[in-house]
Amino acid sequence: MSQRMRNALVDTTLVGSVVLLLVFFYAPITTLVAFSFTSSRVLTLPIEGFSLQWYGELFNKPDFLPAVLNSAAVSTISTLFATVLGTAGAVAWVRYRFRLQGVFRGLTFAPLLFPQLLLGVVMLLWFSVLGSWLGFSTGLVTVIIGHVVYITPFALVVVAVQVYGFDETLEDAARDAGASGWEVFREITFPLLWPGIFSAAIFSFLLSWGNFYVSYSLAGTARTLPIFVYSGIAVGSSPIYPALATVNLVPALLLVIVAEVLRRRALKRQASSIATS
Amino acid sequence: MRIERKSWNDPVFVATVAPLALVMVAFFLVPLLMTAVLTFQTTQYYRLVWTWDLKIWTEVFSKPHYWTIMMRTVAMALICVVLTVLIAFPAAYALATRLKTFKTQIQILIIFAFLTDAVLKTFGWILILDKNGVANWLLMHLGFPPEMLNLLFTPTGTMIGMVYNLVAYPMFTIYLSLVRIDRDLMLAAYDAGASRIRTFFEVTLPLSRPGLYSGAVLVFVLSLGAFLEPKVLGGGTSPLASELIRQSFETRVNWPLGAALTMVLITIGALMLAACAAFVLRRPSTGRRPA
Repeated sequence: MSQRMRNALVDTTLVGSVVLLLVFFYAPITTLVAFSFTSSRVLTLPIEGFSLQWYGELFNKPDFLPAVLNSAAVSTISTLFATVLGTAGAVAWVRYRFRLQGVFRGLTFAPLLFPQLLLGVVMLLWFSVLGSWLGFSTGLVTVIIGHVVYITPFALVVVAVQVYGFDETLEDAARDAGASGWEVFREITFPLLWPGIFSAAIFSFLLSWGNFYVSYSLAGTARTLPIFVYSGIAVGSSPIYPALATVNLVPALLLVIVAEVLRRRALKRQASSIATS
Repeated sequence: MRIERKSWNDPVFVATVAPLALVMVAFFLVPLLMTAVLTFQTTQYYRLVWTWDLKIWTEVFSKPHYWTIMMRTVAMALICVVLTVLIAFPAAYALATRLKTFKTQIQILIIFAFLTDAVLKTFGWILILDKNGVANWLLMHLGFPPEMLNLLFTPTGTMIGMVYNLVAYPMFTIYLSLVRIDRDLMLAAYDAGASRIRTFFEVTLPLSRPGLYSGAVLVFVLSLGAFLEPKVLGGGTSPLASELIRQSFETRVNWPLGAALTMVLITIGALMLAACAAFVLRRPSTGRRPA
């Protein structure tokens, strides 16, 4: 085989592996979307006819809307906490050097290396013991705490990428011009880090929204959306779950695209400003 | 990037670092220690009794049943590591070196699939793998005999789900270590007369080792806790450690036992992590294997 042919073969294999990976990733997702529009109750091919009835049925299910509201509350609050804590953590990781930094890094990164189920179990034990002492039981609040612990390291990593490319001469300039510490943060630091923080928030929100393991361990009797799906499919499959997946998909995809575009544009701008300065 | 030295006497610095540190101590470190403490307690009539007793640990170490499941979990985790790395490496390599035009779009697609609700994605796999599912339907229309695959409710089904849910992690780590490689090193290898394939094995692969190892260890550790896949796609026929742990909490209401099994699993993961870290640190990636 000639060198050129061999190279062409390597290129095709490599590109093919990405295509196959995308097919693999999207096989269950497209399957769900396709089956959400079926008119029959059984989820097998071929799809007999088109209908939107399962969307109606989904919204008429009595425990669906409470689960949505619970998920929305949990995701919003844990996103807020995870993003703020993750941003502070990212700055401390990348820009600062301090005593016990190794301990700080290990502590803030470790939840990422933990199987979610074990994270949930460990926290469940703690909350149960604490609850029996202080007289509370697990519920949405403990789910939120669990999500914050699980999601913050992800947010930290996403923001850290942005902090890494940060141009601090702008801060110096503002300080020289007489800005106070808070003004420098508000006018320079935050706007420059904003795209990273924003995509960390989107990332956090979707991780929380789709989280099953931690919620399942810590929710007690409360139900979030993934728990609703899990207990539903344990009883029997129904086209309302594909419908739910499809409803989930569109806003999530839009959020991911907006966050990525913003973050990339900002990183590019930073790279060029560093190159010219 | 300028690095700033900070002292713990600086109140602004403490205000930045302390909240996160406190959250992690109160809701991660302390629970972990509490789990360790709980393994030395016992239960009576489904209620926790505070003693200091090795009863649970003797039970854990004397029942082969637990260890069969632990071994199966570790075996599944190792297979999952091999498969995910084999799938992720070529794709990450292609993404880092080829595909310049569609790179952003592909990355967004991967991130999005990664962030989609795992329960729903796993349910999607049921629809594909079912005896009357999409996979068999497609195969039948390609001329294969009907109901050729029977993967749902088998360990293979579990493995497909695990690989699916975890393959993005090594994708990210390997990609990040590949894009950090200095292209000049590869050009130098070409100048010295090395072929593309030789350059790959002597320069690129050794330099991507940190990403390779961290991705592999991440998959290993995370698959130790796989619960959804063996339950939903494996049909509970060959349970993994996570199922054992849940049972000891939910069915048997035996917290100390659940805590002990959790600690066993955490220890296995931590040992693997430490071994991997030692391996990476001991062999600096110089881009040359020792002759």
